[in-house]
Amino acid sequence: MASQQNQPLPEGYQLNNYRIDKLLSSGGFSIVYLARDENDNPVAIKEYLPSALVLRSAGSEVQVSSDENLALFRHGLKCFFEEGRALATIAHPNVIRVENFFRANETVYMVMQYVRGRTLQFHVQRHRQEFTDTFIRRIFVHLLNGLREVHANKLLHLDIKPANIYITMESKPVLLDFGAARQALSSDHQKLRPMYTAGYAAPEQYRNGDDMGPWTDIYSVGATMYTCISGMHPQPANDREKTDQLTPLHEIVKFGYSPELLSIVDWCLQIDYMKRPQTAFELQKALTQEPQNIVSADTPDSEKSFTGRLKQTLNRKIF
Amino acid sequence: MRFTIFQDSHKGTRKVNQDRLAYSYGKDVLMMVIADGMGGHARGEIAAEITVNTITARFQQEARSPLKRPLEFLHASFNAAHRAIIAFADQHEMLESPRTTCVGCIIQEGKAYWAHSGDSRLYVFRKGELGITTLDHSRVRQLIDAGVITELQAETHPDRNKIYNCLGGVLPPEVTLSEEWPLQVGDTILMSTDGFWAHVPIPFLASKLTRANIVDLLPGLMEDAERKAGNDADNLSVVAMTWEKQDELADIPTQTVTSTVPMEGFRTHTSMGGEITTSDVVTEADIERAISEIQSAIKKVPK
Repeated sequence: MASQQNQPLPEGYQLNNYRIDKLLSSGGFSIVYLARDENDNPVAIKEYLPSALVLRSAGSEVQVSSDENLALFRHGLKCFFEEGRALATIAHPNVIRVENFFRANETVYMVMQYVRGRTLQFHVQRHRQEFTDTFIRRIFVHLLNGLREVHANKLLHLDIKPANIYITMESKPVLLDFGAARQALSSDHQKLRPMYTAGYAAPEQYRNGDDMGPWTDIYSVGATMYTCISGMHPQPANDREKTDQLTPLHEIVKFGYSPELLSIVDWCLQIDYMKRPQTAFELQKALTQEPQNIVSADTPDSEKSFTGRLKQTLNRKIF
Repeated sequence: MRFTIFQDSHKGTRKVNQDRLAYSYGKDVLMMVIADGMGGHARGEIAAEITVNTITARFQQEARSPLKRPLEFLHASFNAAHRAIIAFADQHEMLESPRTTCVGCIIQEGKAYWAHSGDSRLYVFRKGELGITTLDHSRVRQLIDAGVITELQAETHPDRNKIYNCLGGVLPPEVTLSEEWPLQVGDTILMSTDGFWAHVPIPFLASKLTRANIVDLLPGLMEDAERKAGNDADNLSVVAMTWEKQDELADIPTQTVTSTVPMEGFRTHTSMGGEITTSDVVTEADIERAISEIQSAIKKVPK
């Protein structure tokens, strides 16, 4: 069967008390819209629409293609509810807030706070020079406050990456898109497996998921920090498990960052999940420790020489 | 009691195994049950699972010593299972109740008793021949009885999968009860779902049974049946028991001896498909409840 695309709701569509402005993003399990509430305040609305199961080629109602899929659709609904339920109970400045949850068009919708700002991905691509040692530590210590709250609610995010972290106008990180989120303590959600983001997903996410825990999100946080520092994501974990060709940060980055920060990132990116920080708190503690010395850019050493810079460039290319 | 027992279930090429089966025995009584949840209706495996659970639970309550009226026990258990399915469907506001076939057998004091609804079968083999069988509650069986078609024509009849009687349906089930069957050493009672019996001819099965014991024979036959069904292999399940020499003293590894079961104790083996359990069903009521829970959680959290 040819893969069919789920059609998003059209601009101007009136969904209960909200008016759809535009499509923000669409993933394997949902579509996110920018919309306005009755007071014209912007909100983000997430529509449950697993592309593998459901088709909406025209109109607004969701039609499940078969009986068997209906069961899976409803099973997936449970996951969506769990995401909503967990997010509803989390009131934390570093986690996206849920404002409403309702049923319409034969599916369900989650209304979220609309955060003004840009994703971390946007900033990494455009202003990487601003990602100093101190800035990275500050952003991630705050983000980990939010992640601790998520884990405290027995939930794993499972899709932490630069595109899922918002940096608000006030430079506050906000964790969003819990579309992959799963209850850490139950294992019956194997059927609707979340999409993995290569480079950010931990090795255990490629397996059956038995070994997943807070350390799984820690790996993704490490990969996100790695991207902030090096400008590129680490080698995908499933490839690393075959042949580990991850270039350690200290080989890419010669100055500007403390060796402590670089080794914290290495620590998060251990293939063996037991060797990573086991909790967000443990990682947070490490990040808040004052670094001994940051190798400054104007340190007169061989790396500043022409051949040193050339070597650096080559290293990046090789990676 | 001393017997050899075998039980297994294959999913075939289907995504879900809707067959459920179990056997359970105490010191003096053995019970075997198979239920084939019906496709084409909502979640047949739930009906099958409720049925096997209900009958097994009642068996363990009532069969601490030989049952006074084993056929009445079967009749009452089938009806209890039917009511439990309807109650489940009501409670979960299902648009349609899930349905299942069922065949159950009790063995005690050297005699077998059985009951069935639908087209899951029970065969009794003795000395290489079919001693007796259940007659399916199926459309084709009605046509055969009316003389419209022959047994042979029934095998390929387009309506061969249609049954008019089951547990969980709109009407209470019609439960057909057997006579009492006094067991002889070597008698094999074989119960199976249509995914098995449709591909294994009775004479073939009968002659095979004279040459091998059920534990060695049946795994291969189940694989053959699945292979014969090809790309459209239904779920197939078998539970079978051979009645052994009761005064045998030797310890024979394939045989089960119930004298070692503690008084009032039971040993139970179930095959529950394993994938989707009743807790996975999300009904209209669940959806409404989840949404109102989330909404009230949202209201409680200070913004």
